[in-house]
This record gives sequence, structure tokens and C-alpha cells, in this order.
Amino acid sequence: MKGKYKSFLKIGLISLLAAFSLKACLVADIPESNITTEKNNENNSFEIASAKSVRPFKNIEINGVDYIQARGKIGKFGGTLYTSTIGEGPKTFNPWNAKDATSSTMGELMFDGLVATDPYTGEVVPQLAKSIKVLPSNKEYIITLRKGIKWSDGKPITAKDVVFTWNDIIIAGYGNTSMLDSIMVNGKPPKVEFIDDYTVRFITPEPFAPFLRILGQSIAPKHILEPVVKKGKKEFASFWGVSTPPKNFVTSGKFKLKWYIPAQRVEFVKNPDYYVVDKKDQKLPYLDNYIMYIVGDLNNQVLKFEAGDIDILGVRGSNVARFKELEKNSDYKMYNLGPNTGTAFATFNMNRKKDENGKYYVNPVKQKWFNDINFRKAVDYAIDRENMVSNVLHGVGAPLFTAESYSSMYLNHKLKKGHPKNIDKAKELLAKSGFKWNKSGKLLDKDNNKVEFNLYTNAGNTEREAVGVMLKQDLEELGMQVNFKPIEFNVLVGKLNNSLDWDTIIIALTGSSLEPHGGKNVWTSTGALHLFDQRKEKDLKNIADIREWEKELDYLFNLGAKTLDIDKRREIYDRYQEIVYNQAPMVYLYSSLRIFAIRKKFGNINPTKLGGMMHNLEEIYLKE
Amino acid sequence: MKKRINDRSLRSIVQRLLKDKYTFTALTILSILYLSIAFAGFIAPYSKEFSDRHLSYAPPSKVFTITPEGKLSWPYTYNYKRTFNPNTFKMDFKLDRSQRYYLKFFSKGDDYKLFGFIPCDIHLFSVDSKNGRLFLLGTDINGRDNFSRLLYGGQISLTIGFIALFISFPIGLLYGGISGYAGGKVDNAMMRLTEAIMSIPSFYLLISLAAILPANMTSSQRFTLITVILAFIGWAGFSRVVRGMVLSIKKQEYVDAAKAIGAHPLRIIAKHILPQTASYVIVAITLSVPGYILAESGLSFLGLGIQQPDASWGNMLKEAQEYINVINRPWLLIPGGLIFIAVLSFNLIGDAVRDILDPKSKLN
Repeated sequence: MKGKYKSFLKIGLISLLAAFSLKACLVADIPESNITTEKNNENNSFEIASAKSVRPFKNIEINGVDYIQARGKIGKFGGTLYTSTIGEGPKTFNPWNAKDATSSTMGELMFDGLVATDPYTGEVVPQLAKSIKVLPSNKEYIITLRKGIKWSDGKPITAKDVVFTWNDIIIAGYGNTSMLDSIMVNGKPPKVEFIDDYTVRFITPEPFAPFLRILGQSIAPKHILEPVVKKGKKEFASFWGVSTPPKNFVTSGKFKLKWYIPAQRVEFVKNPDYYVVDKKDQKLPYLDNYIMYIVGDLNNQVLKFEAGDIDILGVRGSNVARFKELEKNSDYKMYNLGPNTGTAFATFNMNRKKDENGKYYVNPVKQKWFNDINFRKAVDYAIDRENMVSNVLHGVGAPLFTAESYSSMYLNHKLKKGHPKNIDKAKELLAKSGFKWNKSGKLLDKDNNKVEFNLYTNAGNTEREAVGVMLKQDLEELGMQVNFKPIEFNVLVGKLNNSLDWDTIIIALTGSSLEPHGGKNVWTSTGALHLFDQRKEKDLKNIADIREWEKELDYLFNLGAKTLDIDKRREIYDRYQEIVYNQAPMVYLYSSLRIFAIRKKFGNINPTKLGGMMHNLEEIYLKE
Repeated sequence: MKKRINDRSLRSIVQRLLKDKYTFTALTILSILYLSIAFAGFIAPYSKEFSDRHLSYAPPSKVFTITPEGKLSWPYTYNYKRTFNPNTFKMDFKLDRSQRYYLKFFSKGDDYKLFGFIPCDIHLFSVDSKNGRLFLLGTDINGRDNFSRLLYGGQISLTIGFIALFISFPIGLLYGGISGYAGGKVDNAMMRLTEAIMSIPSFYLLISLAAILPANMTSSQRFTLITVILAFIGWAGFSRVVRGMVLSIKKQEYVDAAKAIGAHPLRIIAKHILPQTASYVIVAITLSVPGYILAESGLSFLGLGIQQPDASWGNMLKEAQEYINVINRPWLLIPGGLIFIAVLSFNLIGDAVRDILDPKSKLN
């Protein structure tokens, strides 16, 4: 009896299973209606930051103090803005010592410079300075300081502080010396002279166009730092580090350190003596506190924003579409600030030198390929940038063809459109240099060597690995054999700087949207980041293998630094981008877009392409 | 006595394994997995490099058997069409219903090498046109077919364990055998060495080794080297157990007999002692395979094992690291599911084998 039930049960189960699998095999093809999806697209585009016409900053005098009047709406006092930074957090709060981006940001929040960049127009505008006069020789700058503004301990900010910062810290080589490198003109630093308590004169050995912006370097309080500087560089390097009690800081910026909990958050409190006022002459900033969380990674940051812990988020990749979709029913608004200053590129090792042991860094056979302009241009033409942007960046980016990024004021507008992928043209170029294809479609050079080389990038970065896979496929269309190898970042850097034993690399650099002179270290033949033909110290003594176009780049960067007229400068930097475009030592790939989400509860959010989201932090206020 | 293992012949072991329904299920699953990866080239509709750039992160293809008119039809699929809205940055995939692609079975397709050496171009299934795309489990960031890559990736992920075993078990057996048989000071010294090896934190060692491996290695060389590294730190614990067993076995009369005849110690170890540990060895083997599978996946997930463009389950799972992908593209999690299933099956079988071969160690 029992057995009978059991077999019934078995038959039942099997027939049920059969029915289900049959059901799974029968899938009806029912076209979905198209009405719902089309409707959503109305009124859904991004707020795109643009240079709206804003009146310039105005200096006003109240009770003998020279204030700046802000340009935004009148807001309310109080409230806190929560933001975040990815990584380990600041390594120091001393802006003259900072070597990483997070530390610099924190330092610059607390210490203002003489000048700043107008976030709308990109012009240099006074900050701690009240006015700047450039004498006709283009070598002398007369800076007049604001009267009556104070350090956070009540002492006045005077010309003595400016002269001290420049002569005793920067020019004396304290802290991060890259600042000193960037102000050297023909190997000489500028002269800084004290004229009276509120006037300073800067004299550069020669006209130096980037100098005006360099004056934005934070100014230090002499009465606090002079004793430290006297004790030597070591003492200075550890001064105002992360373990300093917040009350010891004497600052000039909008915010002052209140509390730092390592690996968790940095809290800033407003500076009640700040020299910016609103249209009602009330002292800014509006916000009481500015708190920065230190988060481990991007995912963590996104989750923190969704949980409401932070108020502003840089949104990337496929998150953009999701956040945009949720925006309608949410408490945040999204802004598109256009492409960032980052430039991702692939570069060839064009090095023709030998190492200490007399061995070539690059195999002489490969050297010939990489030094062949047709080979490099063929690679350039074979790359499918459009699909890199849509697949790897999820559309949140733009294909890039120039050495200056899209956001740069000096972008060469003739070249920015570039060219589409063109395999036929690439093959034509290769054929011109004597490359040929064997029966199985593999590329051979003139001397019948198979074209095979390595392509490196840093491992663990999904974005870059995907780009590498695409690039490999693109080049295989030309018959090249590409061995794509993601390697550890430190190993990669070691190869770039030291061992120089690489063929091609995919990597990215960040630039500046305001000052192209920063590219000097990449593009001049002696530069420290002259990636495609890195010259080590011993090579620098006698540069014999310099190419004609490298010489021209050297000349252009030298000339560009000395030219102050903006239109003439543009011509010079247009030419440099043209050379890079034509010679293609670095093949540019793409830039990503800067897209931010910020809570609607904040007022005076006026993002600009040049200034970013927070350029007017002192004016941002909490609406409710 | 010597015939102990043969008494419980292989057949009876297999029979008892098959009787247990959990073990039976696990065995079936593993057989399916291993058969699939053995015939990967045949089952996979695409090669592991094939990519359609216009279909990055495309969802799984839909296969229909009933037409919109309601008629029964030979299974067919549509291609996806990607649309991008530059205002919302939304990437949408819609079926392009203008062209139907019918499924074909046992048809010609890309060339591949069956078992690595038989040139072949017949695929189990594909669609009837070169323009048709059949992505059963969707695609990855480069528009490569996930289903095909899972099969090719499995070839690495599921075999790495066995290759490692071929290195670690002979070493462990011999080392443990010699140590146990020799006894005394030799035993003492040899066991201290295994302790030293066991105290190496294996995962950190692997991470640091992966970082310093020469960069110009091919993925298969890298794969072999990782296997070897895994094996060389994996034998120590095993050899200690073997040594313990040998200590008791060497006191048996037949060992004395062998000694009396004048057999060489190595012969005694290999011929008379080690075969007695077979039951333990079989159990240890089945139970350590999943460990190697997990180690490979972990390393590849961190970007230090098998690297792009080659596939392994670990490096495929890496794409699911971004949490947005888990929400929008759940098919990227499938390699994780497969790792889970494979490891679970191995553990179930290992447990069952232990219960059969070594009834004393059975709990309860």
C-alpha cells in the first residue's frame, strides 16, 4: 500500500517537472509597447554649468577693513555641510608641506592666498590682496594687501607675512619643494621685496606668464612659523601635522580645523573673522561647520550619500544613470560640469638609449616601430574611442584627441573633434612604412619581424583593464600581436620611472584647465615625466638623441611661459597640441565627465566648469 | 591485512556514494560541470575573445518559441539594440524585432580545438546568421559572451585544484612517510620544518608573490606558477597527518617482516606503509580541492591571479564588485554562484567519502 503511494507521488512529481520544463521552453514573444519609455525623457536633462555673466568681485570698506563682497544671494546663517574624501585622509594640515591632493585641499581651506581664480571667467582675482598691478616690463608685480584683515588669533595679516612665506619658506626650500620648482625661471627664483606694511613687490627674472596664478599659494602667519623655520626643515615638515591640537592653528581661510578623527572625519568650523561679506554686509561664511568624512572606496561613498550621511557626491559611470533616474523623487539635484582635467592615453616607449650595462632599454626592433610616425599614427587611427566611452565610461565621458583636456582654456579647437576610427587609413600608413601582412594576416615589419609587443596598465582597475582589452582587439585588427598585461601599480610606476623596460602603457594624467605650463614636465625633453622618452639624470648631461619636434616643444613651452598676452599664448599652445597630435607619442583616449549630486537644501549652489561645485563655499547656506 | 583497501573495492565505494542522495546530486553536478568545461569549445557558442562592442553589459538573450501571432515556432531570438540617452546617461537595451534569428544545433562556427588539440568548428548551438547574437547569460563590460567565458573560465578555476594536488600530495606523502618511518631526531627536525611552512600566511604570501612575479609572463605561465606556489605551501599539514599514521603502521608485523627480508627503507615506505594511508589520502584530496578553487578565485578577484583578457571565475566575478552592477546586471554574479556550487559539491562528496572509508571518524 505504502509503495503504491510512493510511486504515485513519483509520477506526480515527474509530470509536474515535465510540465514546468515544457512551460520554460514555450516563451511567448510579446512586443512591449513603446509609449511608456518615451514620455520620461521630457524635462530631464542635466543642469549644465555655464559661465553666466556675473559681476566681478567688489571690494568694500567697512570700519576701515577692506572686505570682498560676495556675488550670490543673501542666505541664512548656520548649518553644516557634509562631504567626503576617498582614501586615507590628510597626511598633514600644513599646505606648504602637502604632497597629496587631500592634504592640499584641507590646507587651502584654512590658508588663503594672495589671489584666486574667478570661477566664472578664469581670470586672476584678488583674495588676500586688494589689488594687483603688473608693471609694463611684465616682470614686476605690485601687490597691495587688504587693510584690517586678521589671522584667527587676532594679529593683522601684513606684507611681512607675505615676504616671510615667499622668501623664508618657499624660496628657502622648506616643505614641498615642487612649489619652488614651478616658480623657477631660467633657474632663478623671483625676488620678493617688502615695501610697506600693505605693499609687496615681486620681481621675476624674466616675464613669466604662469606667475600670477602661482601667487595663489597660501600665505603663512610669520609670528607663528618664524620660530619653527629657524629650527630647520625637519621641524617644519612635522609642524601642523595631523596630530596637532586644533586650537594651535592660526589661519586665514573660511574654515578652521575643529577636530580630526584619523580615518573617520575632519571637522572644520567657520572663521568668524573672514574677509568676505554678503550684499547685506554680513560676514561670511554662512555655514557653521564643514565636515569631511574619510571613506574607503567609491562604493562606500555612494552608499553614504544614499544613506544621507553626506550632502555632495561625485557620481561616476553607470551610477549616473541610476542617480538621474532617482533624482525626480529625491532630495538632490545633479549637475554636469563637463569633462574633467584627466586625460587617459596610451603611450609608446620611444627610448633609444642604453642602460648602465650597455643594454638597450627597448629592443632595437621595437624601437624602430615606436619611432616610426606612421606606426604611431596607425595605432591612433585604429582606436575605437567612441565605444571606449560608451562601454567603459558608460557614456559618462568624451573621446579625447588633444594633449590639453576639454576643460582647458587653451584647448585647440581645431583638433578637438579628432578623427573617427579608420582601419583602412591605419593600414595605408603602415604600408607606407614598409609594413606588410603575412598569409595569416599578421603584421610584419620591413625586415620581416613579427610585430608583437606588450601593453601594460595597472591591475585591479576594471576601467583600465577593459580599455586594455579593447585596445588589444583594435590593434589585432591591424595584425599586431599585443600581449596585454595588467600589472601592479607600483611595478608600473617603477617601469615608467626607473627600469624603462616597457613597450606601451595605458595610464592617465591630470592637468589644469587654467594653466598649460603645468605640462612642462611631460612635454619638454628634460621633463621628469617625459614618459615616451624618459631621460635619466645621466642622460640629461648630454642630450644627443633629441628629435626635431621635441626641440620645438621645448621652445614652445619656454616661449609660452614668457608670453603674457593671452591670444599669443593660445597660438603657442595650439601649436604644441598640433605637434603632439601629428607626432602621436601619446595617443589620447578619453576624459570622463564630472557629474555631481548635491542636496537641494543648500542655497547659492552655482557650479562652474572652472571652479567646480564648491568654489563659493563661503556663500553656500542651508535653506531650512 | 595488506589487501584492506581492496576489500572495500572501488565499486562498493562508488555504490555507497551513489546511494546517498546528497552525494549523488553533488556528483551529478560536478560531472556536468567537468563535462561542460571539457567540451567548452563545443558547448560555447563563442570564443572567449569574441566581443560585440555595441553590446557591452547586454542582458541575457531571450529565446522565444511562440510567435507574436501565437503560433508555435522553432526557437528564435532577437538581437539587442543599445540606445544611449545623453541627457539621462541611461543605456537601454531593446529587442530589435525587425530580424529573427533562429537557433541552429550542431552547426559550423568559430574554429576551436577540442581538448586543446583536435581542430573543430562544430558548435552545440548558435544562431543562423553571422549578425545574430545569442548571449545566454548576457555580456560583460567588453561585450563578451558570459556563458562562453564561464565555460572557458571553468577550465582554469576547476582544474587548478587538481594540478596543485599532483604536486602537493606526492611531496606530502613522501615527506610524512620518511619522517614517520625514520623517527627520532630526523622526525623532529622534519616536523619543525613543516610547522614553519604551515605558519606562513598563505594568502598574503600569494599576494606578495603575485606582485613580484615577472610581468612578461603569459597568463598560462602565471597560472602554472600560482598553482605551484599554492601546492608548495599546501603539503605541510597533510604530511603531518601522514607521519602520524606512519608512526602506528610501522609497528605492524608485516613491516618488521619486510625489514627482516632486508628491503630498502624507501621501498618499505612506498610499498608497504603508504598504501595503508590511502583512505585518508582520498578524503584529504576531495576535501582540499575546494580550497584551491577558492584560492584561485580570491587571487583573480583581487586582480593578482588570472588576468584579462583570459577568463577565470574569480576575475569574472570582479566585475560584480561594483555594487551598481549587482543591482542592474545580476548576471555578472553567476561565476560566484558556480564557485559556491562547485565548492559545496566537493565538500559534500569529501564528507561522504570519509564516512565510507573511515567509519571511526564519523561523528554521532
